[in-house]
Amino acid sequence: MSQQLLLGIAEQLKLPLLQIARQAELASLQGKADLHQLTTTAESALHLIDSYVLGVRLANHQEQALVLEPVSISQILYDTGHELDALAKFYGVQLELSLGGKFGPVLAHREGLQAALTSLGAALIEALPTTQNPQLTLRLATHRCRYGIVAGLYADTEQLTAKALRDGRKLQGRSRQPLVGLSPSAGAGVFVADALLSAMHLRLKTSRHHRLYGLGTVLTPNSQLALV
Amino acid sequence: MRIILVEPDRLLADTYRQALEVQNHQVVMCAGAQAAIFAADEEQPDLVILELQLVGHSGIEFLYEFRSYVDWQTIPVVILTNVPAGEFSGSWELLQQELQIQAYHYKPLTSLRTLLATVNQFATVKR
Repeated sequence: MSQQLLLGIAEQLKLPLLQIARQAELASLQGKADLHQLTTTAESALHLIDSYVLGVRLANHQEQALVLEPVSISQILYDTGHELDALAKFYGVQLELSLGGKFGPVLAHREGLQAALTSLGAALIEALPTTQNPQLTLRLATHRCRYGIVAGLYADTEQLTAKALRDGRKLQGRSRQPLVGLSPSAGAGVFVADALLSAMHLRLKTSRHHRLYGLGTVLTPNSQLALV
Repeated sequence: MRIILVEPDRLLADTYRQALEVQNHQVVMCAGAQAAIFAADEEQPDLVILELQLVGHSGIEFLYEFRSYVDWQTIPVVILTNVPAGEFSGSWELLQQELQIQAYHYKPLTSLRTLLATVNQFATVKR
């Protein structure tokens, strides 16, 4: 699992490092530096490395100690949105938070869940401007489904079908672009989120939120926690 | 020169556009192959800079479509891609002769200066 994760991270890391290198060179050509953009891109690269370390730690120690704690999904989505805000602005993508409804706490690994959603969000932010749809809005949302509470990211363009995701998983590591509907870098981000969620015994799924398409994971509400 | 830049990543595309505009080139950015075909029809470009890994249709598919039009067969195409050139070692002839690639740059190792030098070389030829 950690090898697949490394592959995904390495593929995804290429993009921010390339952006940093070219932005720095452009600054020297123009004689002015947009340090804010450089900083944000470097921070995005650091987040990716953090996700990798966390993913490997979770994968290696999952049998012994996957520390679960009561987590508020709304809070996780709010924090994810906050982390993705600067990146979204650079890509011209508007982030929306939709936390309607009252959801009790769930048992989850807070750090891992947030890293997975952040990686997924960064991937979808990169992917949105390549769609033909001019409406570049990404909604971080949660809703109830038959199996529990879904936390996910949604847009009004279907970027990935369930079949494409299933086929992509099979092709990962063997194809340059396992998810044809996404750029290689964005596709790698989806696999990083997938690997992180798998390490926590969760599953990345395609999902719908009202009329929007997206990706998310199903978390099981804990009725004992709700009583507390 | 009027340049069509086919690059799926918006931030990178913007960086390349700014660098090319410093050298007084006009740049039209396209995120995918279909948009690039429409742009070529509207803009009548002097040069195309192309990433091979696109969303949906690949850069190679774009090239087959692009070269199928008589008017566009002589427009130079510069590849700027994340795919190392070594992966095409068995099909260089196809790229150079059939699809008429004028230059191939591996993106992670190609500085803006190198790209500008290649583009300016075609600008000189055009004059």
